Amino acid sequence: MAEAKLTPEQKLAMYHRMLLCRMFEERVYFLFLEGRLPGTIHQSQGQEASAVGICSALDAGDMITSTHRPHSHAIARGVSARSLMAELFAKETGCCRGKGGSMHVGDAGAGMLPAIAIVGGGLPLAAGYALAFRYLKQPNIVACFFGEGAANIGVFHEAVNMAAIWNLPVVFVCENNKYAASTAVEKVMRVKHVSERAAAYGIPGETVDGNDVEVVYQAMVKAGSRARAGDGPTLLELETYRFAGHSRSDPGHYRKPEEVAAWKERDPIARYEARLLAEKVLEPSEMTKIRASIELELETAIAQAEQDPSPKPEDCLTDVFAS
Amino acid sequence: MTVNADGAAAAAPYPAAPAGPPGPGREPEPAPELVQLLTPEGEPVEHPEYAIGESADEIRALYRDLVLVRRIDTEAISLQRQGELGIWASLLGQEAAQVGSGRALGPRDMAFPTYREHGVAWCRGLDPMQLFRLFRGVSNGGWDPADHNFHLYTIVIGSQALHATGYAMGIQRDGAVGNDPAGADGGTAGEAVIAYFGDGATSQGDVNEAFIWASVFNAPVVFFCQNNQWAISEPLEKQSRIPLYHRARGFGFPGVRVDGNDVLACKAVTRKALQAAYAGQGPTLIEAYTYRMGAHTTTDDPTRYRLQSELEAWKLKDPIERVKAYLVRAHGADAGFFQQIDREADELGERIRREVRSMPDPGPLEIFGNVYAEPHSLLAAERDQYAAYLDSFADTEQEAAQ
Ligand SMILES: Cc1ncc(C[n+]2csc(CCOP(=O)(O)OP(=O)(O)O)c2C)c(N)n1
Ligand SMILES: Cc1ncc(C[n+]2csc(CCOP(=O)(O)OP(=O)(O)O)c2C)c(N)n1
Ligand SMILES: [Mg+2]
Repeated sequence: MAEAKLTPEQKLAMYHRMLLCRMFEERVYFLFLEGRLPGTIHQSQGQEASAVGICSALDAGDMITSTHRPHSHAIARGVSARSLMAELFAKETGCCRGKGGSMHVGDAGAGMLPAIAIVGGGLPLAAGYALAFRYLKQPNIVACFFGEGAANIGVFHEAVNMAAIWNLPVVFVCENNKYAASTAVEKVMRVKHVSERAAAYGIPGETVDGNDVEVVYQAMVKAGSRARAGDGPTLLELETYRFAGHSRSDPGHYRKPEEVAAWKERDPIARYEARLLAEKVLEPSEMTKIRASIELELETAIAQAEQDPSPKPEDCLTDVFAS
Repeated sequence: MTVNADGAAAAAPYPAAPAGPPGPGREPEPAPELVQLLTPEGEPVEHPEYAIGESADEIRALYRDLVLVRRIDTEAISLQRQGELGIWASLLGQEAAQVGSGRALGPRDMAFPTYREHGVAWCRGLDPMQLFRLFRGVSNGGWDPADHNFHLYTIVIGSQALHATGYAMGIQRDGAVGNDPAGADGGTAGEAVIAYFGDGATSQGDVNEAFIWASVFNAPVVFFCQNNQWAISEPLEKQSRIPLYHRARGFGFPGVRVDGNDVLACKAVTRKALQAAYAGQGPTLIEAYTYRMGAHTTTDDPTRYRLQSELEAWKLKDPIERVKAYLVRAHGADAGFFQQIDREADELGERIRREVRSMPDPGPLEIFGNVYAEPHSLLAAERDQYAAYLDSFADTEQEAAQ
């Protein structure tokens, strides 16, 4: 299949989104350190190309499922920084009305089911949602994000096998960031690539550079069009790395500093920035403007979230069931 | 990088997979290979990796196993129909897969069965009455797993694959895997585990997790899947897009498909997989390609979901007939031999009928037995409470009896 051609506007939009993901995470990191946000967080610095590359290849009616590390997925899918920030502050204006918090952000209206923090929990849901699309004769697909750790959970197998035998319109997107908390992937996988698992279910599997947003985008266009054409699921593995610890409380001592440094050399945003500058799609002066506008967007979101009302005690039993 | 291809649809005898058109980079696969040493007509088959290694006497013994195990099964169905057993899961058609693999096991190996492994139980040396106690509902489990290295029957589909893998990892940690080829034992004196499960179980997450653990830790376990084509009323082609033995590829360990109605092939293939496990080479997935000739259990009516013609086709591949033909042609077995086995089967049937009918009912308090390995105060309190409750009827019962 020929590669989809990206316009300068699309490229800039992807760059902007990735930067928003990064700056959102960095701002949130300090909010937590300052004690202004409750709970814990799982951050996604370093994985922006995967979130943005995948979501940029989706249509408005498509759906994504996400994990305990959902902030970039949400931003990439178009959930506003404002409603995301309010959710982290547990405010009524949040995307889940302040009842979800960091690990459950999402907005079905924006095409993102609220994230599921149970490792692997999104996979059967994605298959089920894809079945619903088929059943309702909607031309949409599901992109299901999960980590390489989740690929070792039983529901991964059940969901992928079922999606395979029913040819469901779903793309299983494994963000292989090499670690499941402190467990290195090579200690818990006998095959070299998660994508090799596809052989167990008779579906195509592909491993690509998850830190190159255009590569991710093209892989998703390919897998997505297969799903839309009724040719069933694909197991797409994106090789990437999280720069931060697993969660707020994790300094990540199980990783060698050289390893972290080597991956930071492959920072998806710095790489893309350099490419867009070389392609003259991006001007240095514009970079400053984009950053300034994102900073303003985030500061406004924080200021508003801090003033927003908390959910009322009498609302604690609403939004439990759909009907 | 593109891995994997799907083309199972074209491969006979595997039924057409409901896959879409092959996508980019997907090449058609060659037809699945089936290890067979004896054709359904009883003709020996040359195979590059496996050979018939049994003497005439050993083959006669296998024939006897097959016939007696089938007799256990037919007696059980009759007894259930007469109300003497609560339920029975028939192994009809799967005798070769069970006897072949069961006889490949060494005495120290551990087997983890489903609820259908009566043939394996026989090979491990269980008295059939131990099975019947369970299916008559007069025993909490039927046997002590340690007595014959045969674990309890497991109903929760696929869960025993995890138990087996855990047990295998225990063996490994006990140092009983002969993974030192230079050692005194030549790397062969190991112990291993065999996990039995059905085609339907392969769709369970538990089996997948067992594959992961076993492959990553190189556990000495043989995954023995009897693909009897059906999971109750669910045919295999609704459960998998690929031939089941290919499943192992996604996990990085070998898979092999064997004619599950060929006792000699099943034994040879299992033997080799066990030897690999003894030597520290880790797991193997064996798919024994067979057919469930009977109902799923005695509560099931398969005529409601499958065609008689399918059954007729598999009748021609009967696991016993081919050994009989081979024994006559290649080893000069005569009518006397077969009559003697039939007589033995009749005697076994007679004993089963007699002993099953006279099994004593357990006392109601036996339900509290075998719950915990050690005494447990809460359970003891519950038992005492229940005993007191039963005692409260004593007067009434005496009155009723008068
Ligand atoms: C079923 C389940 N088991 C354990 C956990 C605890 N846990 C949270 S995240 C995580 C690691 C997940 O690793 P991976 O799937 O690779 O995603 P990553 O964190 O790398 O994005 C674990 C074990 C959980 N949330 N759910
Ligand atoms: C976890 C679980 N789900 C469902 C059942 C109900 N059940 C009993 S047998 C069976 C089918 C199993 O099929 P297969 O694995 O092919 O074994 P077979 O019965 O054909 O030997 C099912 C679904 C169960 N016992 N356990
Ligand atoms: Mg079955």
